[in-house]
Amino acid sequence: MRIVAALWLLGGTPLAQAFDAERVAQVATQRGSKAQVGWRALQPVLRSAAGVEEVARLTLINDFFNRRIAFRSDLEAWGVLDYWASPLELLDKGEGDCEDYVIAKYFSLLALGVPVSKLRLVYVRAWMGAPTSSVQAHMVLAYYGVPGADPLILDNLVDDIRPASKRSDLTPVFSFNSEGIWQGTGAQSNGDPVSRLSRWRDLLTRALAEGFGP
Amino acid sequence: MSLIRQVWLLLLGTVFLAFAGSVTVSTTAARDLVQTQLRLKNTDNAASLAIALSQQKGDVELMSLLMTAQFDTGAYRSVTFTAADGSVVFSREAAVGASTAPAWFVAAVPIVVPAGVAQVSDGWKALGQVRVESQTSYAHDALWASTERSALAMALVGLVAAGLGMLIVRRITRPLDAVVEQARALEQGTYLTVAEGGEPELRRLARTMNELVERLRASATAQAQQLLSLHRRATADPLTGLANRQHVLGQIESALQRDDGPAEMGLVLLRVMDLAGLNRLLGHATADRLLLTVAQTLKPYGEQVRGCLLGRLNGSDFALCLPAPGVAFETAEAIVDALRVVLPTYASTAAVCMGTVEFGRDTSPGDAISRADAALARAEARGAFAVAADADAPVAIAVLGEGAWRQRVQASLAQHRVRIMEFPLLNARRQLLHLECALRLQLEPDGEFVVAAQWLPLAVRSRLTVDADERALALAITAAEHDGQARCVNLSPASLADSAFAGRLRALLWKSPRVARLIWLEIAEVAAFEQFDLVQELGRQLRSTGVHFGLEHAGEQIGQMPRLFEAGLDYVKLDASIVAGVSRDEERAMLVRSTVTLLHGMSMQVYAEGVADGDDAARLWECGIDGATGPWISTLELRPGA
Repeated sequence: MRIVAALWLLGGTPLAQAFDAERVAQVATQRGSKAQVGWRALQPVLRSAAGVEEVARLTLINDFFNRRIAFRSDLEAWGVLDYWASPLELLDKGEGDCEDYVIAKYFSLLALGVPVSKLRLVYVRAWMGAPTSSVQAHMVLAYYGVPGADPLILDNLVDDIRPASKRSDLTPVFSFNSEGIWQGTGAQSNGDPVSRLSRWRDLLTRALAEGFGP
Repeated sequence: MSLIRQVWLLLLGTVFLAFAGSVTVSTTAARDLVQTQLRLKNTDNAASLAIALSQQKGDVELMSLLMTAQFDTGAYRSVTFTAADGSVVFSREAAVGASTAPAWFVAAVPIVVPAGVAQVSDGWKALGQVRVESQTSYAHDALWASTERSALAMALVGLVAAGLGMLIVRRITRPLDAVVEQARALEQGTYLTVAEGGEPELRRLARTMNELVERLRASATAQAQQLLSLHRRATADPLTGLANRQHVLGQIESALQRDDGPAEMGLVLLRVMDLAGLNRLLGHATADRLLLTVAQTLKPYGEQVRGCLLGRLNGSDFALCLPAPGVAFETAEAIVDALRVVLPTYASTAAVCMGTVEFGRDTSPGDAISRADAALARAEARGAFAVAADADAPVAIAVLGEGAWRQRVQASLAQHRVRIMEFPLLNARRQLLHLECALRLQLEPDGEFVVAAQWLPLAVRSRLTVDADERALALAITAAEHDGQARCVNLSPASLADSAFAGRLRALLWKSPRVARLIWLEIAEVAAFEQFDLVQELGRQLRSTGVHFGLEHAGEQIGQMPRLFEAGLDYVKLDASIVAGVSRDEERAMLVRSTVTLLHGMSMQVYAEGVADGDDAARLWECGIDGATGPWISTLELRPGA
């Protein structure tokens, strides 16, 4: 897997079922100059990530999106109460909220060959800093290096990646990923009106259309 | 393929396609809907179950209870929980529900629904994933039921459409059949009109056909009218309307030539005395009126007595030919008595005288006229209103009682003392069309075979004509069977009255079906004129046997017969009185030509009877006659290949 991904990064055949780089580039061009610039900026990150261990890849991807994307609520960024942006939409906009970060990191890691079973998107309850002590609904990306072990948490609120046991400010509520869903969200269901009914499936459909894969 | 079958096929095809299409579309749409619903149900239930399981702090017993409860209370095929390390922690499976739909239907319309999958965790700890599958067999039952229902509905629609189609086709074909019948009748020379109803297209067809038929009928009628006037011009005296000299002499000759003509006749000549003097005295107009009065006095005899011939020989002379012996003198006296009263009102000198003669078949018409002339001269010498008879006694035929005659005729028929004489009917290339057969009876054993003129009147009175006709037909059939030549038999008009007549002829003809097409049957024009319906019915009954059926001795009334075209005749033979002298008389030739044209227009062949010389024959061929018979024709040598 890694060798094939490396081949793609060196200009070889892309991983067809995980990632269609040509397609992503094409959609980025159509979307506009900002998306194109963002996509180009991601290229060196992906290239260097291809040559390192999985855990190191997490850091590279986490840093790239945490630095490049400015936090902004969906209402400000998209004009709606809640919107799940696809990776290219996020790069084009340059701003987004917690789940937009999580989604972009999730698909980037999948593209780098991280198995889907190791990644989960997690709804958490977060205590914000001491002064306010307020509780907020939040989303982070969890990486399970070994099944059942303590996961690593990729969070846009915290720059570095820490194990979940070091994140006492977060209480996990529910987690999910695209495992077992993709077969129902295949290319043929691109125009399937039913998938729009679920926010998660709608997003999967849009990401697939942009060239990202499971 | 018939129209009705095509419509049936079209209907069946349409209904079947509609059925197949609608069932396919509705079944596919229902199947897709069911699949989507089941997929959503699977994923949503998996997600809800995963959310609930994630709240159990990893307590395996509690989670198993939850999953058991969900499985037991819902309609699931399986609920499975797989731990993060891949081991199956919990699994419940139900048997696949039995479907009432047939197996082929289940195979043809598969319902494939992916299982719902969701992740379960305990805090940060990933516990594994839950997998949910719903029962689908009920969906096949529902789909099969709806397919059955739509099949039933389409079958009903098909039945209704087929019923409507049949009604419509019947509505279309009924007027079409009528028009076909009309065209077929037209081919046979019958002018039918049909009802103009129904659809606009068919109404137009019917109207066009009716107009066509009407035009043909009108043109046939116009031709007949023209023929009538030609006939008058050719045969009638312009002043009195009686037959002219040539015509009345021709009629007498024809009557004598005919086999079934009278055996003896009486001729009465009438002369208006000193017509030139009367012309001077009274002026032409009054003298003409006087002549008309004479003609009026004579006319009842010509019109009321069958076979009576009447004509104006020249300016002052009239001839009346009576078809019976022994009545000429009395008739002349009766006429003279009537005129004696009337004529003096014109002038005291106005008078007539009359001469009579009785003559047999051996006498030529010219001879009879000259003998009557001699008698007339004697009467004229005697003065006004005198009547003189020819001195020579006629050749009397054997005087026997009626009973004795009947016996003889019957005996000769019963004992087969019969024979047919044959006279050829040829076409212009001298090919034989048929042989006319005349029946001769041997009345006395070892005696002479005598012509119909001798015995036919007695046969008519004794009602033996049907037997005689039947015998003649049997002989003709035997002869035709023997040599393969077509033969023609003339039927007696008296036989028409016998209701069994047609049946007996048909029985004979059906015994030899192959010969029937060689047989020609004909009946005198006078019968068709007086008993048209009987002749038409006879023709209709004989037609099915394959014989030819026509009229003989035609001419006098052929142009006046209003429904001739409906009689179903194959041919008409023109009487000798019409065709005799055609080479010397342009008006007569025109009459023959018009008659031929008219009858050809009605799909009938036209033949000439009694052709006595080559000039007449040549002229008749020019006029388009299809064939001829007569003394001169009988002398010709046949050419083969009729």
